[in-house]
Amino acid sequence: MIDIIDLILNTPFLQRALIAALLIAIIAATSGTFLVFRGLSFMTSGVAHAALGGAALGFFLQAIGLFPWFDPTLGAIVFAVLVAVITGYAGESGVAQKMEVAVGVSFALSMSIAVFLMYYIPPDKVLVLWGYLVGDILLMTNQDIVMLTITTILVAFIILLFKKEFVYVSVDYEGSLAHGLNARGYHYLILVISSIAIALATKAVGAILVYAILVAPAAASNETLKSVNKVMIGVFIIALVAQVIGIMTSFIVPVSPSAITGILAALSYIIALQIRKIREKVNEGIPEVIHQETTNIE
Amino acid sequence: MANDSGDDVPLVEARDLAVRYPNGELALYNVSFTIKAPSFTAVIGPNGSGKSTLMKTILGLIHPTRGTVSVMGYDVVRESKEIRKLVRYVPQRDHIELSIPMRVKDIVLMGRLLKKPAPRFASSMDKKAAKEALARVNMLELWDRPFPELSGGQRQRVLVARALASSGPLLILDEPLAGTDAESQKLIVNALSDYQKNNNVSVIMVTHDLNPIHVLVQNVLLLRNTLLGVGTPCDVMDTELIKQVYGPTAQIVEHSGHKYCITHDSGVDRHD
Repeated sequence: MIDIIDLILNTPFLQRALIAALLIAIIAATSGTFLVFRGLSFMTSGVAHAALGGAALGFFLQAIGLFPWFDPTLGAIVFAVLVAVITGYAGESGVAQKMEVAVGVSFALSMSIAVFLMYYIPPDKVLVLWGYLVGDILLMTNQDIVMLTITTILVAFIILLFKKEFVYVSVDYEGSLAHGLNARGYHYLILVISSIAIALATKAVGAILVYAILVAPAAASNETLKSVNKVMIGVFIIALVAQVIGIMTSFIVPVSPSAITGILAALSYIIALQIRKIREKVNEGIPEVIHQETTNIE
Repeated sequence: MANDSGDDVPLVEARDLAVRYPNGELALYNVSFTIKAPSFTAVIGPNGSGKSTLMKTILGLIHPTRGTVSVMGYDVVRESKEIRKLVRYVPQRDHIELSIPMRVKDIVLMGRLLKKPAPRFASSMDKKAAKEALARVNMLELWDRPFPELSGGQRQRVLVARALASSGPLLILDEPLAGTDAESQKLIVNALSDYQKNNNVSVIMVTHDLNPIHVLVQNVLLLRNTLLGVGTPCDVMDTELIKQVYGPTAQIVEHSGHKYCITHDSGVDRHD
């Protein structure tokens, strides 16, 4: 035990990785939970890949000297928000299918832009760009940590502040509107702040890990837990444990921490499905009991 | 809320209304009517006749392509903010997303908390009103039960309770009796009837079947993309009118003092 603490205290990149794991678990518990509630888990992947396209555009514009101020991170955020807004616009009519198409098209477009521009970006920058796809939580810089911390605090604060509103918009969009809630505003607010968080997390740890951590734990918790707060706490625990085990394993065997984390996150969902199945079997006789209760009262 | 429930201001007034579906098809045309408060109004007609669209237009969720609608004197396009303070809405049951872990109490409290300013904390008064509303539809025992695990009829009762717990002089319900068991139907109708009589509120209800509510209803709007009939339940139980709405196979049969309306859509609709 003391050995482990000693190792953490003497290894700055390990400290950064553990802080990042904590921050990403918070993003998963807030943004991830609500994206799954809204039926938008697929958007996470679209936004993460849009970030890649935006970053490629940033590197390209810097390389040809046209807009040297155009930072690749800024490009990533702009593209990510754009995809989120397009998805949100398609989904405003409440048709989930349209949102799926919007995500699919923007996904393809931003990946094509990224691959297209790769030929015109200096080779050393192409490596950085690949980091957006298969990034490594052990390779984070101090700057990455600072930006991720600011975003996480912002996202967690907004989502906890407007938790009820986001729940109501997810449960009954029309009803919320009809009772006077600015449902449209909240619909876009959650999409935009989530997409900024996803873009920065993608830059930090790579699209694959972001997708695994934002979707699977939320889906797993939502299958098994029975209140919004419990789901959020469940997501936080699953996400944190999966990441910490991933990081620790990479010290023992030569393996990418993202891979281990992704596999563990996916496993959590499979286990949750089994738990749900077993519960349904156990509960098969219950509905009649409910019926009795209600008919006896009259 | 200066001009609500004034003597001369109608509850709902539609003038030459035309509304399109999102896909551009015409949902409603030439619709003009006036409903005075307080009233219990039923909107009937076959599937795709524009009933839900009319409700959404009244709530300002869809804008008319022609004509105007006003609720208690407020225009639905320009003053929807005011209207939304006055109405309580029960959407069709399948519009409620079941993948979110809500409990019965969360759904019922929603009706009150949506009308409150942020941070929307539930006070003891809110909880009391929510419990009273659930008791009206005989669902109080299920206060802590997960909403998605209820039967269709029970979920519908909870949604009606959500409207009863909320505030505002106009209740709009979209098919609250569709796909419910006989017991739930009776509970919902009785709860609405008691509540309407004792609380000086008006109800507009979209329904397939006039039978369960015909003794409560004062006005019926018979809709098939345009308004084919307005009147009391007995007025609209006219063979010619019913054929126009439901097609040539629809019939009205008189049997031992009751009128039965037989249609493809609603099956048999008894009428005393």
